[in-house]
Amino acid sequence: MVSPGGYLEQCKKKWFCYRAMRTRTVALVLCALAIAACKKPSDQQQPGQGGSTPAAAAPATGVLIGATLPLTGAESRIGGFYKEGYELAFEQATQSGGISVGGQKMPVRLTLLDDTSTQATAASLADRLINSDKVHFLLGTYATNLVEAQSVVAEQNNIPYVNGGGAATAIYKRGYKWVFGLLAPVELLAESVMKWVDAEQQAGKLPKPASIALLWENTSHGKDFRKGITEFADKTKGYKVTVDESFELNGKDFSALLGQVKAARADLFLADAHLPDYITMQRQYVTAGLCHKVISYGARGSEKQAAEALGKKNVEHVISAVWWSPLLADKNPEAKKFVEAFKAKYAGRTPEWYQALGFETARALFTAIEQAGSIDRKAVREKLATMKIPSLLPGGELTFPKEFGQQTHAPFVVQQNMPDGTAPIVAPPDSATAKGIAPNPNCAK
Amino acid sequence: MKLRVAPWIRPRPAIGLLIACALLAVGPLFHDDVYVHNLLTLTFVGIAAALAWNWLGGYLGQVSFGHAAMFGIGGFIAARVQLSLGMPMLISWAVGGLVAGIFALIWGHPTLRLRGPYFSIATIGVGEATRLVCTYWDSFTGGSSGLSLPMQSNLKYTLYWYGLVLAALALCASYALRRSPVGLSLLAIKSDVDAASDVGVSSTRLQDLVLFLSGSTMGVCGGFYASYFSYIEPGDMFGFDRSISWVLMGVIGGIGTIAGPALGAVIFVLLRQYLIASYPQLYLGLYGLLLVMVILFEPLGLTGLFLRVVHRARPDLAVGGPVIEGPAPAGGPPPPAETRELK
Amino acid sequence: MERFADLLIAAVLLAGLYSTMAYGLGLIYGVLRIVNLNHGGMIMAGAYAGWYLHHALGVDPYVSLLPVAAVSFGVGILVYRLLVRRLPRGAAGGVQSLLLLFGVWLMVRNAAYLMFTGNDQTLRTSYATRALSVGSALISVNRIAVFGVAVAILIALHLLLTRTYVGKAIRAVAQNADSCTLVGIPVERIYALTFGLGTALAAVAGLLGASLFPFNPSFGASELLKSFVVVVLGGLGSVAGTAVAALILALVEVFAILVIPAYLTAAVGFVLLVLVLVVRPGGLFGQRVLG
Repeated sequence: MVSPGGYLEQCKKKWFCYRAMRTRTVALVLCALAIAACKKPSDQQQPGQGGSTPAAAAPATGVLIGATLPLTGAESRIGGFYKEGYELAFEQATQSGGISVGGQKMPVRLTLLDDTSTQATAASLADRLINSDKVHFLLGTYATNLVEAQSVVAEQNNIPYVNGGGAATAIYKRGYKWVFGLLAPVELLAESVMKWVDAEQQAGKLPKPASIALLWENTSHGKDFRKGITEFADKTKGYKVTVDESFELNGKDFSALLGQVKAARADLFLADAHLPDYITMQRQYVTAGLCHKVISYGARGSEKQAAEALGKKNVEHVISAVWWSPLLADKNPEAKKFVEAFKAKYAGRTPEWYQALGFETARALFTAIEQAGSIDRKAVREKLATMKIPSLLPGGELTFPKEFGQQTHAPFVVQQNMPDGTAPIVAPPDSATAKGIAPNPNCAK
Repeated sequence: MKLRVAPWIRPRPAIGLLIACALLAVGPLFHDDVYVHNLLTLTFVGIAAALAWNWLGGYLGQVSFGHAAMFGIGGFIAARVQLSLGMPMLISWAVGGLVAGIFALIWGHPTLRLRGPYFSIATIGVGEATRLVCTYWDSFTGGSSGLSLPMQSNLKYTLYWYGLVLAALALCASYALRRSPVGLSLLAIKSDVDAASDVGVSSTRLQDLVLFLSGSTMGVCGGFYASYFSYIEPGDMFGFDRSISWVLMGVIGGIGTIAGPALGAVIFVLLRQYLIASYPQLYLGLYGLLLVMVILFEPLGLTGLFLRVVHRARPDLAVGGPVIEGPAPAGGPPPPAETRELK
Repeated sequence: MERFADLLIAAVLLAGLYSTMAYGLGLIYGVLRIVNLNHGGMIMAGAYAGWYLHHALGVDPYVSLLPVAAVSFGVGILVYRLLVRRLPRGAAGGVQSLLLLFGVWLMVRNAAYLMFTGNDQTLRTSYATRALSVGSALISVNRIAVFGVAVAILIALHLLLTRTYVGKAIRAVAQNADSCTLVGIPVERIYALTFGLGTALAAVAGLLGASLFPFNPSFGASELLKSFVVVVLGGLGSVAGTAVAALILALVEVFAILVIPAYLTAAVGFVLLVLVLVVRPGGLFGQRVLG
């Protein structure tokens, strides 16, 4: 190594001393990048848009609504479905010339970004939509944790956030005023399943007391499902939970877990899982020769993909409770209108609850804007808080009750897979299209 | 009047850093783009985290694929302590950092005996095991529902300056760890642990020091993250993808260099924001490609590339010193500094 | 007692899959001293290859085993020639090889994502839910088949390494590469061959995994870690040693459900990995040879 003295001497003489220059230049590069990032203009120039809340008078460009959805990533399939729902609603609004704001028809536009099913991205993009793209209102994304993260940003910026993708009650227990949810809580889902089971038990079709093997995915969805089941069991005293185990999301091998279920010899098998885990678990369940008097996977059950992956015979008699079913079109006029419009736009395909919720979420926001007669955020928020409109949701009505933190508590529909491949509604009685079957006839041993 | 500072602190980098910080600190007064402001805040915490990773991965040469464990623990401790004990934000970060640092020591001290790839594989195990246990541990992390901090309206905006200070401190620590006599000892350990102990470098103590610093800084970053988003959940905080992102930032920016990972972090955040609009899911593959290129052609990543350009432009400049080599070199000791300085 | 028998059978069958996964990683490490982080990527690629052949062409997964193995052998050699060969060999190359192959894994993952989307896929054959009754237990036909294939691979690999010239050359290179050049063994070619063989084994393991479990582009990560546990536990002593180590891992994982909550059994493999690495005395891969 060259003597330190010599090197330092060289360093002092040359302004451009190498080692020091490198560090300093890196710092300057960072600076430059930061400044460059500052200089990058946002894509849309909003005339007359200042800082936070836009004025009550509408700008000529129309109503701008921002949203993110998981179009890629873990939840991309469902994100795509929600997108269909949103797009149908926006198309309908555009076809009628826009939404009427204070007597004037204004075009309404959706800025949809992909949050790649990542929480930080969802929050950052919400930030961008509000502060950079200057949207007037926000529609929600799908998946509870993403909604929970985004709702913080909405509340911080005092902008109405209407979502049909976050069901956990935790989102609505924070006392937020600007967040509205159309998805009823998963505890209620569990309760709906139990209510049907209870009715069958009262009718003598199921033993009393009945033992339950409860398996739940360790996500907030699964936790809430478990809570609903255990609370119902404690309340009514006709049930005993003998197995209570959680499993990892996207777990692969459930054989040990199912072995435990087998050893417990319970009457009812209640699980909560996302679609891939449902398919895996049900396949291993059937292969292991298991059969229970009632089989349910929470919100899963009647998906076409599952019937294809497992075979029709292996999903027979599975009970599921969902937020909406196309079969509601028989008795609910709003649902009927939606199903027809959807089939017209998407080549005769029947919608599932995802598209319905997406559609209804957008429609709720439009209705609030129309009722408020302006795009002032506070006014629209007021209308959302006091909203009571006919809806395609089960129960026929949409409200955001204050006592539930502005989360809808619309009832669920309980479906059961029939041997002929259909999945009729078996509960609640006012929407039912068929009678449920219990106990599971395939278990006759 | 001459300031008496340690001889290894060069004036120019210090001045450079001060200027950069001053510019960034007053920057927000000249623009009202809240989005860019928040983006920079996230960049600052990314810089601090990438630098902290680099102390273990670059200076010591022990690449960790499980640093999200410390990040998550720091974040959840900070959030828990704020929620249950009402501690002020900064103190909760410090507590989070402390616990994360201790956690790093617990699993790291025995594991650092392993060399090279085995340590890295072990860190994957640690990261994933921590994620699973913490997701299960409902009372600590809230389980898969996560923890929600009470919202404070102006906090996010002011976190910019906290982040700036955090990043600056991390840069200073990076410089200090490298240029001080401690840095020389670390270099010795990285090249050959046994030889280092033979010449009196107390390798275990130094390794523990770096482990603790790296882990606790990660923990503080986690706390910062929790305060910024006001909501954290275990799947996101402890995720393997998060651990990978620091490996990418560090290696692509310049593993083992002082500020390389900071550059890597800036590029990572910026690229991600702009790629997301057009090619949302390509960025992982792009980074994989960059990683392959870096390993094959330029072990010091972007910093090394920059150095080469400079060297070609000004070959008369004094290049070398104990700073230039990257990961343990292939064919023996690095080309001695003398040969270049003789030019 | 019945429960015990069920768990034991499940563990034994699972061990077959784990050992197949581990051979590839162990072979590459033993000979080239490189930790192949792309092992996970190749497992996933094998799974997708088998699924695609079945989905698009209706080829039964067990029939497509050989073609998939052959193609991945070629891919492995290609990866070696293009990338791995440029790395410095030995301890110095340790972290670099890790990072390089990790980068390759990221690219493979992204490619799979672009081609097949991130959705979960399942390989559904007509016999997917059929089960044979063995004693009191019902065992899936698929699992038995996977076990059978694993045993066949075990025997084939053992024969390859002990009876053929190539196999002996591989073992020789693993012992001491420099001496091999002295006696005229084409070391570079053996390296390429071994890398190809290791890749092929990974792809086969992936295909077998696909017939049992659903998968998506992130498949392979935990399989990689389990392979590592097996390799570290069993050393590179012998093909049979790896099989025994796989059995130990499978037993620990399956029986863990009797003592800890089901959710945490997923962590067992990881904890075991760290413990084994830390507790096992120095010289993990020492001078032990394949045999």
